[in-house]
Formats: sequence, structure tokens, C-alpha cells
Amino acid sequence: MSYAYLFKYIIIGDTGVGKSCLLLQFTDKRFQPVHDLTIGVEFGARMITIDGKQIKLQIWDTAGQEAFRSITRSYYRGAAGALLVYDITRRETFNHLTTWLEDARQHSNSNMVIMLIGNKSDLDSRREVKKEEGEAFAREHGLVFMETSARTAANVEEAFINTAKEIYEKIQEGVFDINNEANGIKIGQQATPTNPALPGAGGAGGAGNSGCC
Amino acid sequence: MFRSRSWFGGPWGGRPKNRLSLEHLKYLYSILEKNTTVSESNRGLLVESLRCIAEILIWGDQHDSLVFDFFLEKNMLSYFLHIMRQKSGGSSFVCVQLLQTLNILFENIRNETSLYYLLSNNHVNSIMVHKFDFSDEDVMGYYILFLKTLSLKLNTHTIHFFYNEHTNDFPLYTEAIKFFNHPESMVRIAVRTISLNVYKVQNSSMLRFIRDKTAAPYFSNLVWFIGKHILELDTCVRTDIDHQSNQKLSNLVAEHLDHLHYLSDILLLDIKDLNAVLTEHLLHKLFVPLYIFSLTPAPPPPSLAVVTQNLAAVLNRNVDIDIQEMHNPRVSSIVALYLLSLVFLVVSHAPLVHALAWVILNGDHSVFKEGAAEILNSYVEHRLVVVPGFGEPNESLEQALDTVVGHASSSYTISEDSGVESTPAAAPTPTIGEDAASRLYNITDEEKQLLQQTTATSPAFSELTKPFLDTVLQTLDCTENDYLALLSLCLIYAMSHNRGIKNEWFEHVLSKSMRGSFSYKTALIEQLLSIITQSSQTSSRIRLITVEIALELLLTFTKSAVDEALCITPAQQSLLFGARNQSMLVLRNFYKSEDIFLDLFEDEYNEMRKTQLNVEFLCMDSNILLPPTGTPLTGISFTRRLPCGEVEKARRAIRVYFLLRRTCQKFLNEKESLLPLTNVVNLVQVENVLDLNNSDLIACTVVSKDNTKQRRFLVIDALQLILVEPDAKLLGWGVAKFVGFLQDVEVQGDKDDSRCLHITVHRGGVTNNRTPLLSAKFLFDDHIRCMAAKQRLTKGRSKARQKKMYQIAQLIEIPGQMDSPIYSVCGTVAHNSNTRMVQKGASLTASRVPGFAAVLRSNNSAGVSRTQMAQNRSLEGIRNESGSRARRRSPNAGSNSPSTLRSDRDRSPSISGSHSSSQSRENSQPRSTGARSRESSPRMPRPRSEEIPLEDFQHSRNNSPHSRSGLSHHSPCSRSHTPSRVLHHDQLSTHSGSPREPTLMCTNALLSQINGGVTIAREVMPAQSSEETSFIGNDNDIPVTSTESKCKVRGTIETV
Repeated sequence: MSYAYLFKYIIIGDTGVGKSCLLLQFTDKRFQPVHDLTIGVEFGARMITIDGKQIKLQIWDTAGQEAFRSITRSYYRGAAGALLVYDITRRETFNHLTTWLEDARQHSNSNMVIMLIGNKSDLDSRREVKKEEGEAFAREHGLVFMETSARTAANVEEAFINTAKEIYEKIQEGVFDINNEANGIKIGQQATPTNPALPGAGGAGGAGNSGCC
Repeated sequence: MFRSRSWFGGPWGGRPKNRLSLEHLKYLYSILEKNTTVSESNRGLLVESLRCIAEILIWGDQHDSLVFDFFLEKNMLSYFLHIMRQKSGGSSFVCVQLLQTLNILFENIRNETSLYYLLSNNHVNSIMVHKFDFSDEDVMGYYILFLKTLSLKLNTHTIHFFYNEHTNDFPLYTEAIKFFNHPESMVRIAVRTISLNVYKVQNSSMLRFIRDKTAAPYFSNLVWFIGKHILELDTCVRTDIDHQSNQKLSNLVAEHLDHLHYLSDILLLDIKDLNAVLTEHLLHKLFVPLYIFSLTPAPPPPSLAVVTQNLAAVLNRNVDIDIQEMHNPRVSSIVALYLLSLVFLVVSHAPLVHALAWVILNGDHSVFKEGAAEILNSYVEHRLVVVPGFGEPNESLEQALDTVVGHASSSYTISEDSGVESTPAAAPTPTIGEDAASRLYNITDEEKQLLQQTTATSPAFSELTKPFLDTVLQTLDCTENDYLALLSLCLIYAMSHNRGIKNEWFEHVLSKSMRGSFSYKTALIEQLLSIITQSSQTSSRIRLITVEIALELLLTFTKSAVDEALCITPAQQSLLFGARNQSMLVLRNFYKSEDIFLDLFEDEYNEMRKTQLNVEFLCMDSNILLPPTGTPLTGISFTRRLPCGEVEKARRAIRVYFLLRRTCQKFLNEKESLLPLTNVVNLVQVENVLDLNNSDLIACTVVSKDNTKQRRFLVIDALQLILVEPDAKLLGWGVAKFVGFLQDVEVQGDKDDSRCLHITVHRGGVTNNRTPLLSAKFLFDDHIRCMAAKQRLTKGRSKARQKKMYQIAQLIEIPGQMDSPIYSVCGTVAHNSNTRMVQKGASLTASRVPGFAAVLRSNNSAGVSRTQMAQNRSLEGIRNESGSRARRRSPNAGSNSPSTLRSDRDRSPSISGSHSSSQSRENSQPRSTGARSRESSPRMPRPRSEEIPLEDFQHSRNNSPHSRSGLSHHSPCSRSHTPSRVLHHDQLSTHSGSPREPTLMCTNALLSQINGGVTIAREVMPAQSSEETSFIGNDNDIPVTSTESKCKVRGTIETV
């Protein structure tokens, strides 16, 4: 699968906020949201198109790595984008955002794009964190904000793609050093990044493609 | 599901309606059964079936246990394996799906029994050893996360599913660590996580397997990988003198730190056997042969060495040049010092750091051949000795591991070529061995003595040359610049603060290490003082951070072992104080040379207070590896580079002075009493309730940017601008709704509206928040009030600034401001306290200029000691300085020019001298030092201000009962006799805003009006922290006034 760029993402946030579900929801459209099924995965990739270019998003959920200092400090650095997720029905997951953000800011490269996600927006009746609070937090810390639902797939696409757009803009502005893979950006094998989209590379990448057969 | 429907609706038919049901799983099973061979035509179908299986199984795990039973009963995992192993099935297309399904399965399963069943047959292990096409990024990603997910399920029960004791088989671990140097960082991180999760499991036979069969190959390869990375880092440092590729360098450094933290995480798991192997490899394969070796002087060019050796052979002399050693790789000493610092900052495993510190402090060249055997023997009984030397392992990890698996039954002998000898260490000499071991874990006095003996008695020990320690000390020389010195300081700091090294041991070795009469500890302290002295000079080439660490280390090494006291020789102390005085001299040159000097001064103070020295953070900054630079264009933070331009030079001078002042105070065991310039405790806070009776209030409407209007009253205090709203419960009281510093106020008139002012209150100091505290339009009732407000604000601003500039002048002993050095003043403060009493007795009522608010705690009672008052001696300056504000109230007071210089002149020694002899002054406020009398020196009257006194409009009312009562307690002894003195007292009391000396005023003919002061009520503040309360406390010492101490005191004396 050829692409112009590969962006590496990480998903961070408390356990149980639906990180791996968001990831699966975005990377593999064949898993359609079902009301009584919680299913997630910790790794996934998908091709998207921005500005006529094929961009592969590779997403790493970092669950279970919190126990060791060496691990937490290293995984932030390899990513170009981060989704910081909280659960709108659990106030404490919102309260922990500052800690997550501090960690991310301390260890990541300064250009990493961070998007704040209030997940489980479908459970409005059990909402504990107002949308305005999320917005205010995002504004205060210079993040992009969105409320999503992995269960209804609402805004999931947008969350990942908007983050990618922001990274892409930063590349265009020359902020990101794309020759340095430590920044979480890889230039694809596609010889010239200006190539028009290759046929067959569209739609869901990786496993996602098989659905079209 | 629409797309997939077409497949199922087709030739196979019979697909159940409900996607998530046992029936559907049975149907999918039938598909697997029918399509055992993967072909082009059924690939899509199989992929979709495998995907659906994951979905159904998880649904089943959450809803219907029969689903899982069916899956296990039909042994469907074996179908997975079967598909995977086929040639065409092995295409990444199908494998990605298989791995995704497995990932989903193991990640989402909640039912523990189901998990056990899944693991119970050996299928999962077979899947792990399958050689997937790892060149495909997605396959790699899913595969490594599959292993990671499994490693997270490891515990003492599940370990048996993965580790087979009989066959010595542990694919989860051995397969994972093969990717330890994978180019993809996320994969490497996953490998580290897996290995740590494995080590964490408390299973002795598994750990024995790890130690015996994999530790040596894994660690030797890991260490070599780290070493290669370091060589790359070194090249980057050598070639990047101009800071051009600092991003690359910072990535290399961050990556190295990742390695180090990983090693530290392993060591912290405290698995004895594993740690011994790892320590051995790190020390003898990396730290000693590369890091320490690089501390030796660079060798002569090889040709020269050969010639020398040949010559020596001819002359039959023994010249000790080891050609072999010369060819060993080395890094620059800057990198070596840096890397060693990092080791001590990150790793705290006692045997490792102790041995390494020992090598640095005591070692000589023999260590390259023998290693740190002496120390290590004391920790480990039967060491696997690793011969020192930095080089590539002869066997790659994969080969080594294959050997392990291949000869699973035969015991694995560690091959000679991997650089490991399996010989038990020579029986450690009992004394050294046992002592050292116990010494490290808890040092008792007895053992300290023993240590002393071992170090002192053996002459060989103390007289040995210590080439590495010598190098470290030599690099502290800052004559040219502080490039190497900073890193040396980091290393010394890191060693002395490492938890694995006992501080006592470190210092002891250092102070006992002698060469002749020369103690290394003394040498170190002298080097530190030399750095400090040089840093205090003008145009010094020493960075702020270097000074800070040097000062910190000076404190560390002068701390006596017995108590907290600092011991320093008089000569050393005078060097330190000399440096402090020198830095003060340098700073004086910048006083007022910049308009923003005050802002810089306060900023730097806050910065210094805010930022704690953190060497670990410092060492995460790769920029310190590059030669020091001055330009901020590099993005290097201010303290880590040289100043650029005049403003930064001023900043630097200020900061050096602060640092030295702080250190000197520590040596004198003094508390800071003059800084910060603003005593926060005395400030009015938002929501404070203020007594505004009789104080000047200017009504206004505040129109903010978003056009919201608020009716407020403007009150101007000595330091603050306050917007209040009437208090609902107490007539004449107000609640502060906004407070801002006058010094940060910017006022602009409105050319279209004469009743309108644009007022901006900036955030003072360095903040990331650049939006002003307040930016609004103020509408007044008429243009006169508007004018009055404008004048008050403009003058308030310049007064507030003048006052602080005066404080600074005192602090840095600007000639003409003070006679004696600050520290002597500090020393005499205590004497002053009791002399103030007399004056206090009379000062129950605050005399204030209208419109100036002051804080008063009404509920403060007795019990404030006199010395507390002394701590607030900075008040003296405040009162004095603010005196200028009062001048306009005097009959012949004139306009206050904004020039601070003028008011400074007023306080010239000659004037103060003449007044200090005046009796009235002595009566009310006797001074014990010249410095004090200077502070209290009065100013000459100024021409009267053309300011419109607002109180003329507002206050016709005279003395309130409160102020009267205050007057009635007037104590004659504090009465002043000369008008000029009285005037001065007025100034003082007005500005400190404290209730004192009203009586002086009332006896004076100048007094004609008393306006209410502003009093804060309803809040209790710590007594000693406020100057007002201390005065009240003193009031209580005097019987005549004690009755007043508990009542609200207010009142302002106003002169017409």
C-alpha cells in the first residue's frame, strides 16, 4: 500500500474511556457499532486522503504500558498526533486530563498535535461533564476539541481526520521535520509526494480494504 | 454488513439472520471447514469470516457463554494456524486479519476461564513462533501488539501456558526480544514492555531460564546496540558545533534516555540474578571501556605511538603504551561526562552505581583490564565475570537465541566469543567483600570507622593516582568557558545525589582521597569557588545554570556530616562573599540603565523562586552537549546560554546576584527579609471586604470589551488599584471586585469624551498569559472626577515604581542610599524592634491620604512578638519611599515629579544625618544603626501639587469617633516637636497604611481633616506575616493603647 506520508498516532487517557473502541471504529469500518457489544483493538491503520494525497494513519493504543517509567516516557515521542480521550459520563476521567497532558507535553516533541476527545456522547442521560467544560479545557490548553461516540460512530472520522489535517498543515508550514522519523512521520515509498492518488489506494487501508472484495 | 451480505447470500446460503449469535458462529465454522485451503477465490470470504468470528466471540464472552464453548469444542484456533501456515494463506492479506482477530480476542476477553481455555492448547505459542512477513508494517504492528497483549496477561498462573519448563521454551519472550533493535520505535517500545512484563512475573524457574539462557546474549546485544547509538550521538556532537542539527541530537539523546530508563526499570524490578548479569555487562562492556576510557587523555596519533614503542624496544626500556587500547573507540570527554551524569541521574541500582563511582573516584588504568571486580565481588557471590571491552558481540541475538532453542536439552555454555566467562570470581577477600556489602546498605558509625581504616591505612589506596577523578576536576576550569565544567558539575551533582550511593561514602572517599597533602574535597570546593568568583565578574563566560549548580554543590560539600551546619573555612567564605559583593557591583551598573529595570528585577526574582534546580531536567536538554552560545535564536532557554544584548546582561547580573545572595544567606543562616519587593500578605485580595468609610472613592462605570457595564468605585492604595462594590450588609464598606498593581497600570484619556478613561492593567512579570488583567473603559460622573482619577493612577504608578526602585537601591547598596552592607543590616534588625514600640504606642489610627486603601486586620489581638516586626523591616523602606506621596498633603508640598532620582537625592546621607540628630525623630523612632537612620531620613518638602484633591468635594465631615478615640490615646513621648518631623511621620504612616502616629498629626497645626482609611475586616491573617499586625502587637505592649487593640481602627489624617 503506497502512501505519501504515514502519521503515527497514540491514544491516551484513563482506562475504560473507550480508546481501543474508538481506534477500531476508525481503522476498521467493517466493525459496525452494535449496541450491546464493546469491542476494541490496540493497533490499527487506515488510509485517508488529504489535499489529494494518500496518508496512512497508524494508531497505537498504549494501554497497559503505564507501569514502567521507561515506557511512558518513550511512547509519546514517536507520535505525530495524540488523541487525549475522556469519558463524558465519568467526571474523574476529565479531572485526570491535566496529568495526561503534562505527561504528553513533557515527553512528546513540541509539535505533536493533541486532540481532546470527549467520548461516549451517546450516553447523554448519564453525562457528568458538560460539553462547555471540554471546550473550555481545550481552549485553555490549545487543543482541538470534539465529542465523539465510538458506539454510534459519531464524529469518530472527524476526530482522526481533523488531527491529520492539522499535522499535514504543519508539514506544509515546515514546522515538522519530516526527515526525522522520531517525529512520528514517515515519508512513503510513493516516489513524489505530489503524485495523484493511486488507484486502489483509496478507502479503508489494510484490513479495511478486504471489505470491498 | 451490506457489503458482506453479498458473499453470504450467495453460494453458501443459510446464513443466519442474526449476525451476533451462536448460529452465525456455527455457520462461520462451516465455512472454515469447507475452505481449508486458501485460494485466490475464497480469500475474501475467509478474511470476512475470521473477522466476524472475532466479533461473535467477544459478543459471546459478554453475553452468551455457549459461543465460546463452541469455539473451543471445535478447536477453531487450529484452523487459524492451518490457514496461516499455507503459502498463499501466509500472504499479509490473510495474516493481518488473523492477527487482528487474535488481538481482538485476547484484548477483549473478560472471562478468565475462556482465556485459560484459549491458552491451554499450544496453538498460541505456535502462532507466536510462526515467521510472518515482518516487512509489512501492519503485520509487524499487529504481531507485536499480540505479544504485548499476551504479556499483559502474564501472572504466576498463566506463565505455564507460555513457558515450558521441560523443553526450555518461552516463545513469547524469545520471539519478542528478537525485535529489540527494530527500526520502528513503537515496536521497540512494545518489546521493552513485553520483556518487563515477563521479568515482573515471580516465577523462579522461568527467571532461571531467562538468566541462564537468554540474559547474556540479550544484554550483550542490548548494550552493544546502546553503545552504537552513543557513537552516533558522539559524531553528532562533534560535527554540530553550530547547533545546526540540534533536533537530531535531541532525538538521539531522548532515545538514549529511553534506553537508560529501560535498564533502570529492569534493575528496579530487583531480580538479583538478572541484575548481576546486566550490571556486569553494562559496566564492563559499556561504562568502563567506553565512558570511563573516554575520560583518559586522547592518545597520540598511532604512528607516533608505534615509533615511541619501537624506540623503547630499541632502548630496552619499558614504555607502557598499549596499542590495542589506543584503537578502542572513544567518545569526546564532553559526551563521556554527560553520559556518566545520566547514568547517575537515572540508575540507582547500588552495585552498578557504586562500582562506577568507585572507578571514577579511585580507579586507574588497570580498570580497563580488570574491571571493577573488587566492588562487584562484594555484591555477588559467584559472578559471571565479563571481560571489559567495548565491541560487538560475536553472535547476534537471534543466533544466540536459536542456539538456546536448538539445544534446549543440553545445557547452554556461554561461548567464549560472547565475551562472557563462566568462571566464578576469585574468592573475595572476606574483609573487603563483607564490609563493602554491609556498608552500602546501612552505614553505622562502626562501619564508617572501618571504611576510614580501609581508605586511610592502606597507603596504596590513598596514594594511587586517580586519573579519572583528576580529569573531572580539571574540566571544572572555566577560564575559557564553562562548556566542560557544566557537565562535570552535573556528574558530581548526580553522583552525590544518587540514591544508590551512600552520601557518606561518596564524601568520605572524596575527602580521604589524597595525593600528598592535597585533598580532593578541598580541591573540589576551591574549584567551585573559582567558578563562582568568575561568574560574578562583568562579561563572565559562565552560564547561569553553571553558577546555580556550583552554588548548590558548594552547599552540599560544606554541609557537615554531623549536623545541618555549614562548615567552610574563613578564606573560602570570604571568597564567596567577595563574589557576592562583586556581583552587586556589576548589578549596580545596570540599575536604571534600562527603563524596565524594575520589571526585570521582579521577574528574575519570581523566576528564581519558581524554578527549582533540577539537574535531571537539565540533562534531558541535548543543548548542553554543544558549545555554549549566546544567541536566543537557538531556542535555548536563558539560563542555559550566555546573555545576548543589554537587557539580558542586566537579567543575568540580577540573577547572579540573587543566587549569590541566597547562598550567602544560607551560610549566615539568615532568612531573606528584603525580597520580594512586594509583600503579598499586605495586598488587598479580590473579595476582601474593606472599610471605606471616609476614604476616597471615585464612582465609575467599567465598560469592558464585550460591552458589559459594571458600576464600581475606584480606590487607589499605595500599591494597588482596587475596584469595589458596596457591601450589602455594612454601610460604608465595600467588597473588592478587582485588584491590580498600580505599577502595571496604563491610563489613556479619550479624546472624544472627557469623562472617560481607557485603563489597562497588565499582568506583571513573566507569564505565558499575555492578556492584560483588565482592559476596560472607565466612565466617570464628570470630567473633574475623571481628571482626578487619571492623576491618581498616573502618579500612583510612578510612586509605586519609585518606591520599589528605592528598595532595590537599598538592596544593592547603591552609594548614597545606604552606608552599610545589607547583610550587616540584616544582622542588626533584631535590635530595632523594641525601639519601635514607643512610636507604635501612638499609632492606633491609620493616617492616610484619601483614596489610598490599606489593609488592616481588625481581629488581630496581642501576641505578636517584636522580632516579628523586625522581619518586616523592609517596611522601613516602604514607608520612607512612600513618604513622597504624602508630600502633596503638606502645605508647601508641590507636584511630585515622576523622577525617582529626585526622591533618591532627598535621602542623601547628609540630609539624613542632619535629621537623625534631630531629637524628635529619635524620640519616636530611635535607630540603632546608621542604616536605619538613613531609612528614616525625611525628604524636603516639594512644591504643591496641582492635583485636584477629590476629598475637597467629598469630605466635609471631620474626625470620626474612631479616629478621635485614636487620638485620645496619644502618647506624648512620640510627639514630634518640629514641623518637618511631623511631616515626615505623616508620610510614613500614610504610606505603610498602618495605624500609627495619628497623634503626631493631631497635635500638629497642619492636621485639619481626618478621612477614613480603608480597613479590611472579616479576615484573619497570620500575625507575623503582616506588618500591620506586628504593629498592633506592639501596641499591646503599651498599656495606654491596649484597649484599642481589638477594635476596628481607621481614620486618615488629611492635611489641607
